[in-house]
Amino acid sequence: MSRFFATGSDSESEESSSADEITPKAPGTTFKQSLLLSDDEEDTKRVVRSAKDKRFEELTNLIKTIRNAMKIRDMAKCLEEFEQLCRAFLKSKTIVDKEGVPPFYIRLLADLEDYLNQLWEDKEGKKKMNKNNAKALSTLRQKIRKYNRDYETEIAAYKEVDWGILSQCCVFGPHSLFKVRSSCKQSLAQEGEKTSEKKKDVRKKRHKKKERLEEEAEEEGGEEAEGGWEKVKGGVPLVKEKPKMFAKGTEINTAVVVKKLNEILQARGKKGTDRAAQIELLHALAAISQENNLGQGILVKIKFNIIASLYDYNPNLAAFMKADMWKKCLDCIDELLDILFDNNNIFIGENIAEDSENLGISDQPFRVRGCILTLVERMDEEFTKIMQNTDPHSQEYVDNLKDEGRVCGIIDRLLSYLETKGSTEEICRIYLRRILHTYYKFDYKAHRRSLGLQGETKSEQDQEESEGEDSAVIMDRLCKFIYAKDRTDRIRTCAILCHIYHHALHSRWYQARDLMLMSHLQDNIQHADPPVQILYNRTMVQLGICAFRQGMIKDAHNALLDIQSSGRAKELLGQGLLMRNMQERNAEQEKIEKRRQVPFHMHINLELLECVYLVSAMLLEIPYMAAHEFDARRRMISKQFHHQLRVGERQPLLGPPESMREHVVAASKAMKMGDWRTCHSFIINEKMNSKVWDLFPETQRVREMLVRKIQEESLRTYLFTYSSVYDSISMETLSEMFELELPTVHSIISKMIINEELMASLDQPTQTVVMHRTEPTSLQNMALQLAEKLGGLVENNERVFDLKQGVYGGYFNRDQKGGYQQKQGYQRDQKGGYQQKQGGYQRGGYRNQNQSNY
Amino acid sequence: KGGKKKKKPSNNKPLMQTKNEHKSVVLKIIKHYQEEGQGSEVVQGVLLGLVVEDRLEITNCFPFPQHTEDDADFDEVQYQMEMMRSLRHVNIDHLHVGWYQSTYYGSFVSRALLDSQFSYQHAIEESVVLIYDPIKTAQGSLSLKAYRLTPKLMEICKEKDFTPEGLKKANIGFEHMFEEVPIVIKNSHLISVLMWELEDKSTVADKHELLNLSSSNHLEKSLQLLMDRVDDMSQDIVKYNTYSRNLSKQQQQKHQYLQRRQQENAQRQSRGEPPLPEEDITKMFKPPQPPPRMDTLLIAGQINNYCQNVKEFTSQTLGKLFMAEALQGHNN
Repeated sequence: MSRFFATGSDSESEESSSADEITPKAPGTTFKQSLLLSDDEEDTKRVVRSAKDKRFEELTNLIKTIRNAMKIRDMAKCLEEFEQLCRAFLKSKTIVDKEGVPPFYIRLLADLEDYLNQLWEDKEGKKKMNKNNAKALSTLRQKIRKYNRDYETEIAAYKEVDWGILSQCCVFGPHSLFKVRSSCKQSLAQEGEKTSEKKKDVRKKRHKKKERLEEEAEEEGGEEAEGGWEKVKGGVPLVKEKPKMFAKGTEINTAVVVKKLNEILQARGKKGTDRAAQIELLHALAAISQENNLGQGILVKIKFNIIASLYDYNPNLAAFMKADMWKKCLDCIDELLDILFDNNNIFIGENIAEDSENLGISDQPFRVRGCILTLVERMDEEFTKIMQNTDPHSQEYVDNLKDEGRVCGIIDRLLSYLETKGSTEEICRIYLRRILHTYYKFDYKAHRRSLGLQGETKSEQDQEESEGEDSAVIMDRLCKFIYAKDRTDRIRTCAILCHIYHHALHSRWYQARDLMLMSHLQDNIQHADPPVQILYNRTMVQLGICAFRQGMIKDAHNALLDIQSSGRAKELLGQGLLMRNMQERNAEQEKIEKRRQVPFHMHINLELLECVYLVSAMLLEIPYMAAHEFDARRRMISKQFHHQLRVGERQPLLGPPESMREHVVAASKAMKMGDWRTCHSFIINEKMNSKVWDLFPETQRVREMLVRKIQEESLRTYLFTYSSVYDSISMETLSEMFELELPTVHSIISKMIINEELMASLDQPTQTVVMHRTEPTSLQNMALQLAEKLGGLVENNERVFDLKQGVYGGYFNRDQKGGYQQKQGYQRDQKGGYQQKQGGYQRGGYRNQNQSNY
Repeated sequence: KGGKKKKKPSNNKPLMQTKNEHKSVVLKIIKHYQEEGQGSEVVQGVLLGLVVEDRLEITNCFPFPQHTEDDADFDEVQYQMEMMRSLRHVNIDHLHVGWYQSTYYGSFVSRALLDSQFSYQHAIEESVVLIYDPIKTAQGSLSLKAYRLTPKLMEICKEKDFTPEGLKKANIGFEHMFEEVPIVIKNSHLISVLMWELEDKSTVADKHELLNLSSSNHLEKSLQLLMDRVDDMSQDIVKYNTYSRNLSKQQQQKHQYLQRRQQENAQRQSRGEPPLPEEDITKMFKPPQPPPRMDTLLIAGQINNYCQNVKEFTSQTLGKLFMAEALQGHNN
């Protein structure tokens, strides 16, 4: 049809070329890109094809390209494609083994060889060739010779075969040519499913086009009728069709509209197709069908296609939808849902085959092929993409974020639709979508209600009422459904993680922890895909922060340790890429990583995270350090915390703290001296409040908890550090010093005594702690350390001796028995340790005697 | 002139067994440290004197100037020569007979000391090194020791063979590295007078520094240093251990290889083929680099030194403590 416009003006061809520019493509990569795009394709159209079809189609595509290259004597291209073909053929080996070598493949090999030989003979032509081509020619000739040796019999057979088969191949040839062309951009998946239609199309048009075929045979061989093709040469866009969608007087019925729809769709994805115009066309078609009252079925079908085309509008995965497209898309989905809700008799599904569709108005319910769920999922992904690509600090971001309400609304509507009509799996999928939109939002309404407050203003109250149930209840319901019904592990894992996150966010620590422990996700999360791992990391972090709010310092520290110790928290949480890795990853990886980023409004505040971690580490580490001051084998609880301390120490001049880290370091120093007031003032002050603490929903409670913890841990630190100075100390004094109630002081000290951290006893009548002074002095400590080191020295020496004696297993055995290596605390079990050591010596001596015997 | 002093009657030991020293030299060394040495910093200087019969008399000394950053091109040798020349002009003994060095808690057995004493002793056979311990001296008893390298060690240093085998062959232990030379100090009358005067002037507390009972500080320091050395020692041993394990592993490999070779040759012979050509075995199996053992030896010597110090110190302190106890009992 586009032949009529073959004489299109220059401006039009410019238009089409400008359309081309939207999708600039390197000629060599078209094929690959089309594969890439196929992921992007409208999922409703996907049909599972046999592996054979897929492989063979790939081969035929390549063959076509080679033939084209042959025609224009582009040897370099020929060579390149031939190499690709060989690779593709190798890939389809299993199928070939089963089916035999496909005839078209043999045909190409034979033809190519003949052709090359011919070229080779043509000395004149060879001279004219440019260097590249000449080189490629000789390479290719050698290659094909070698390659054809493996197929000699087949090729010979082929050459003998009469023209009957050949003509058969011819039919196949042009057909596949058609496919090559269109699949340059269109997805293979869609292609395959349309094949049958096209075949019909092709045959119908075949006889009409015969004459033209002959004309153009020289240049383009089996040139096909479709407009998309011609544009490559003539640059005639489809837009021109618009004025006459249907010939005047045509009776517009369902069949005609469907045919038209298919026609439009066939242009889809082809090079030079004006996508915007295509969308317009579809809209027009929808309007026409509505005008003519063709029924909801066809309308739904067209809508499906409109939305799909909207998604197609962007040529690659990385680009995001433009605002107007996005709006259109939302509107369209909304309308589609309206129709679906209004008409109960429409069945949609991706498993309804194209030919079993029922679009016409009849007594039977409509049956339309397509999957609304996939569309909505895609919409959600597009939304994420838009958010990822918007500057989070701009007004634009806020505006875009406002659409979230609509997205959620659509998801909600679809959810209620699917709950009545969808299968369990579909329900699980849409539930997960809903959960993903809920889990990270703090439910202020429920929070306020739990505090017993009413909304301050009337309007807020109204809003509350309209909002319905608590997010916690919703989460619970949806997640439990998924736990029970889901069959794919991934959805369940995501649901669990979101559930935990939501619990943690709302300070339901025990539920969150139990769920985390019961799910055993910690054991196997490393096998999950990166987005799930990111979700897991987010959940862990949120869990840690929740534990901190609840005052479970140790749990908080443990939960955050993994994320914080790596120093890559930003990357692990999907909140940005690290600069230092820039050199290590290439552009491709970077793109993938960028796609994984969590949109800004879902971010976890990294400073808050680090602060929580450091403060937890401080509360754990400082008393520990004080308790094990002289212990040579002391382990660090938190490396990062120590690192911060060291950084602080290295400062030549110590000013008042500025950053959050400096505050924590300064507080730690104060705590080391048991000075809780200074520590308190460093941790909780204006600066820190605005930076960190005010970000918690229950700020006041958290601060109170913190003060309390600081007092307690400072008391412990004080006792560890200065117990050697005291003979006895009154608990009352302590309680005054640390502003803790007497019973608390009592309990802390008792605990320390029980744990043998503090060598003291409580004197009840006088309310004093009496120190026992069993802690070794520093000199004694030193001597103990020295003894230990000497033990090591002796042991090492023994090894040398062992070696001399030629016995290798000797000391290993002894180690197991617990010789010197059993480094039992010299402090507490001095006797035990010493005895063991002696045992070691004796054994050593005994063994040595034995050895000297032989 | 500070001190032209008489010599102590020598015992019947061979040359260099006794060393006479003039009090003025001691005072100069102490003064040098007081003025320039701080903490663990070490001061050094040159000893001058002459050999008389089997004694070495040290009659004078002068310090090495402290090095600073800005006079990097300062020529030490030039300075020494200049100094000695000047001394000769005023007719003082100007023969180079060794050098002195201060020490920090008895840590002086080091590679540097070994090297420089070796070169001294190599050039001037009778040279000694005087080690002055300011900390011990501050506690009330002058600590001054003279050392020389033993002839055995001299041999080894000459050959520069510090491999395990070399040391084994020389049969040298850390005990035999240095020999201490007894010191006798002679005072001129003038100096004695000065000393008396000083004693008169000094306060009671200064005089009884010797009786100080506190010990932990000194012991802690010593233990700390001792521990460091023990750590070094452990490391060296581990290194040596790895070495010997590698060595034996290689020996085994070599052995296996040779055996295989032999078998193969035997087979070939039975088949009437010529034997495989001999290959350079040493090239195929390069023996691992043996770790130098001299450092270990020095560390051992140093550890021994620390132990002696601690022993000495503790026995003294114990004595003092018993004395104090007795006194207290008496008072009660």
